[in-house]
Amino acid sequence: MGKKRVGGKGDSTEQKIKRDFVERSIWEEKGISRRDFMKFCSAMSAALALPVTFAPRIAEALDQVKRPTLVWLEFQDCAGNTEALLRASSPTVTELVLDVLSIDYHETIMAAAGHQAEAALAKVLKEQKGKYIVVVEGSIPLKDNGVYCCIGGRSALDIAREVCGNAFATIAVGSCASFGGLPAAAPNPTGAVGVKEAVPNARVINLPGCPLNPDNLTATVVHYLTFNKLPTTDSLGRPLFAYGKRIHDACERRPHFDAGQYVESWGDHGHKKGFCLYKMGCKGPETFHNCPTQRYNEKTSWPVAAGHGCAGCSEPQFWDTMTPFYKRLPNVPGFGIESTADKIGAGIAVATAAAFAAHGVVSALRKGDDQSGKKED
Amino acid sequence: MTTMVIKYVWEVPVRVAHWVNFLAIVILSVTGYYIGAPKTLGVDPSRFVMGWVRFIHFVAAYAFTVSVLSRIYWAFVGNSYSSWRAYVPWLTSEGRYRMLETFRYYTFMSRKVPHVTGHNALAGATYSLVYCLFLVQVATGFALYAEHAPASVMHKLTGWLFLLFSNQGMRLTHHLLMWLFVAFAIHHVYSAWLMDVKERGGVMSGIFGGYKSVPEKE
Amino acid sequence: MDKIVIDPITRIEGHLRIEAAVEGGRVQDAWSSSTMFRGIEKILKTRDPRDAWYFTQRFCGVCTTVHSIASIRCVENALKIKIPANAELIRNIIIGIQNVQDHVIHFYHLHALDWVDITSALKADPAGTARLAASISDWPNNSATYFKAVQDKLQAFVNTGRLGPFANAYWGHPAYRLPPEANLLATAHYLEALDWQKEVIRIHAILGSKNPHPQTFLVGGMAIAIDPDSQTALNDQKLSEIRGLLKKAQQFVEKVYLPDLKAIASFYKEWAGIGGGVGNFLSYGEYPQDNSGKSEMLWMPRGIILNQDLSKLHPVDHLKISEYVDHSWYSYTDGPGKGLHPWSGETEARYTGPQPPYKELDTDHKYSWVKAPRYADKPMEVGPLARLLVAYAAGHKEVKAAVNGVLSDLKVGPEALFSTLGRTAARGIETLLITRELPKWLDQLVGNIAGGDLTIHNGEKWDPSSWHSDGKILDGYGWHEAPRGALGHWIRIKDKQILNYQAVVPSTWNASPRDAKGLRGPYEAALVGTPLADPTKPLEILRTIHSFDPCLACAVHVVDPDGSELVRVKVL
Repeated sequence: MGKKRVGGKGDSTEQKIKRDFVERSIWEEKGISRRDFMKFCSAMSAALALPVTFAPRIAEALDQVKRPTLVWLEFQDCAGNTEALLRASSPTVTELVLDVLSIDYHETIMAAAGHQAEAALAKVLKEQKGKYIVVVEGSIPLKDNGVYCCIGGRSALDIAREVCGNAFATIAVGSCASFGGLPAAAPNPTGAVGVKEAVPNARVINLPGCPLNPDNLTATVVHYLTFNKLPTTDSLGRPLFAYGKRIHDACERRPHFDAGQYVESWGDHGHKKGFCLYKMGCKGPETFHNCPTQRYNEKTSWPVAAGHGCAGCSEPQFWDTMTPFYKRLPNVPGFGIESTADKIGAGIAVATAAAFAAHGVVSALRKGDDQSGKKED
Repeated sequence: MTTMVIKYVWEVPVRVAHWVNFLAIVILSVTGYYIGAPKTLGVDPSRFVMGWVRFIHFVAAYAFTVSVLSRIYWAFVGNSYSSWRAYVPWLTSEGRYRMLETFRYYTFMSRKVPHVTGHNALAGATYSLVYCLFLVQVATGFALYAEHAPASVMHKLTGWLFLLFSNQGMRLTHHLLMWLFVAFAIHHVYSAWLMDVKERGGVMSGIFGGYKSVPEKE
Repeated sequence: MDKIVIDPITRIEGHLRIEAAVEGGRVQDAWSSSTMFRGIEKILKTRDPRDAWYFTQRFCGVCTTVHSIASIRCVENALKIKIPANAELIRNIIIGIQNVQDHVIHFYHLHALDWVDITSALKADPAGTARLAASISDWPNNSATYFKAVQDKLQAFVNTGRLGPFANAYWGHPAYRLPPEANLLATAHYLEALDWQKEVIRIHAILGSKNPHPQTFLVGGMAIAIDPDSQTALNDQKLSEIRGLLKKAQQFVEKVYLPDLKAIASFYKEWAGIGGGVGNFLSYGEYPQDNSGKSEMLWMPRGIILNQDLSKLHPVDHLKISEYVDHSWYSYTDGPGKGLHPWSGETEARYTGPQPPYKELDTDHKYSWVKAPRYADKPMEVGPLARLLVAYAAGHKEVKAAVNGVLSDLKVGPEALFSTLGRTAARGIETLLITRELPKWLDQLVGNIAGGDLTIHNGEKWDPSSWHSDGKILDGYGWHEAPRGALGHWIRIKDKQILNYQAVVPSTWNASPRDAKGLRGPYEAALVGTPLADPTKPLEILRTIHSFDPCLACAVHVVDPDGSELVRVKVL
């Protein structure tokens, strides 16, 4: 799969028949109409920033793949990414579970519990070694032998090494699994890190966000099914199709930024009319994410559209670097929470001026400088 | 009384770089301040206020960059007053002595006016520090600017900086350096005035015409 | 006596571990342990109090609004900020729909599989299911063809031989009682509810950008501007969309959730006598009917019930709340044996448990990351049952009518409420009442807008330079009734920074380990006496634990107090 070109003008009749009849039956057997299915495939090619001509190729890939195995591990997490998965719309979580993937382990949704749950995981490790995909949610604490997160009496690090180390690929969902996230915020009491740092030999794709946009997860999985490889990423391991552009550069409020129209206080005229949230501390100018275009909850909205600035949640260590959330620039280390960079800067300038004014007065009053000093050149 | 003679000290490229830097820093500081803490000036979206401010900032940034790089180039080909040697006085024992002398004069510990034709030793050292900060300002500025096009050559050239700074940290650095330059400018103008008065060497006019008066050789 | 270990307890938020001692087919004793610690309270120190809600929201991604609400309320309390009426109404709508959606997900996706055997649905007669469905509800998706399609889909899924998340469960367990037709009905609604929940929660996206983790809360109000004449603010279009979704929510709860709950409960009536717990109930009250901040203006009332005595309602005094760490992996500066009020609370992690990998926790000493909160030194159960009981005791008209109605439908008395089934039923009744109340708050909001009130934020104290404290510490607390129960945040602000931050969350009350006096927490107490048909497949333990809707990061374990050997539950 992947070498054969499908869906273009050069299709043979045989391929066309196969597309129209053979594959249709497989999906209809699963209770999905061909029409709905193709709609999903088109949506997927859009999400992956591929030309629409790729939709048939995606369709073919999904038809042929026998529901690849996926296991979902939760460590130091809040289950926010799991909940995000439940809000996925294309495909929905029902379709993901029943038709697209074989989700063999997921603590929050699985029916089995205790040792029987752990057995399901052990089975995957044994039978699908090197083939399954593992999704990790939550950070991994390294401090004190990992006692800050244990499942079934084993430390998160121990489990991650085994499960991620033997997977085809690891998808780190959310900022905690990608970069350590909230538990890793200063002073990082538990020594929390992201998956790539905890298990350096694993193949990791990072899908940060707090929580991630589920559309980016489904698109990554479909990309893998379609092309049999992982999507191209940036230097932080984030797929370019979802993190290749700055929020500020795709933002619907950008015209107001350029025009010089800003929200000055919550609920003011500018806030009502959708002016730029730059002055309210929006971190769109320093955040790479596809929120403005992909949006959330079936494309209903996203933070800036709903009137609150971006918090920069897809950037590493955003809990420390993007705070305070309601200020344009971070606090200057060593100064109080209220001191802005400008106050400090202006202070330096004024202090300099004052110092030199004093120096000038002393110099002017001072007589008898020795002008006979040797010329130097 | 020492006799003074007029001498050609500052060549054209030095003076041009100085005044381009001056203008660029003023423009960059004003526009940069607005970019960091804008006021709602646009009445309707077609005004493009921030758009123009940023445009001016970026044009001035290019001018400043070229000017700074030219001056660094000239430090290797210009006359002895503009040579890089004048900016690293701490490398020689004589230079270190002269730095101390100037420091003692500035802090009123000595009454001996340090006469020099070019920059005095302490000023030279300060300028090399300032130029280093100029380069940091240029690099962080372009790194931030390049973020609009993550695949561009500029982003590839400056991306490594994000290993040193967080994105917000880089903004903060860029911002605080501006204030340091404002503080430096105050110091710079004052010192030049002081030397003008005390050395009677025409430091102030020198940067316009290139000529300074220096004590005649005896 | 045998020990049973269920680790991890699945279908909950987080990592919970319960160890229980079993003899004669009944649980004799139990220990609840949370095995995950993140230290967020420590991370919050010295930060801007206005940012705190964004941090605390990440305590939990399931009840994803609750910690932001409690956080902004505690900061507003410390700074004495009165929020605009519109902001209060928007918060009520956000809180209300959060409860509704969360309760439905809990019932179908986290709890139902304890009562419903999905594999048995394959043997059902779809026509029989249709008759059963029609007898309890006039929901449109009631035809035999519909149930046949669901059954076929399920069969096709099973035929692939890969059961995914449904593999390895306790299918066929003798404690499953539903006939195949009822199992098919529940399975169909399991799938329907999955689609429904993502639809109705779009209300959070409309009002607050996204769900999970809506990004719209502000100290002093909300961040969604209101303007009927703007396409970028809350306008009529968006309000109508919300109204439509609220209707959808109400219909599903009235025609699917409640009928299913009653139908399933009628097969498991003995569970009205199992899983009682500590018998003390705490509710902070919720849904302010105006912005006065007075407790008598709460739609769901505030109060405490002791020893299952519904004739007396006690007031809540937050100074009587304290947390113990005698069995938790923390240390207090003043040593063990004492409880600390949250304002002087400490979160100093000090792990003394076994090093992983381990098989058993040392339940005689410290065994959990959860602290033991107590009200006047008594353990308290919190949650929908606590809320309904407090409202019942307070004489709340709608609550009394709804509770009495369900009790008479199931032909049981009020004492049945103190049980596993009572908890599950209370959650359903509460959901129904909230879906009926939600449109009223929306009406009030629309009324305000029509009257020209577009305010959403009180900005008087937004700038920290306006927080005049004269060097004093500003103390505040914020209360909220989360889906899982009473939630409190306590904050101390000094020099515009967070000096101390403590959260006492619902699952801390419910999943609490023993305190200094050795008193069991609610989970532990409720498990005592639970019958086990097959100790190697402790389905019954899951039923009681899930009836609390646990929401923490841990795994459940069952242990023997005499130290006899651990029985490993065999894998199918």
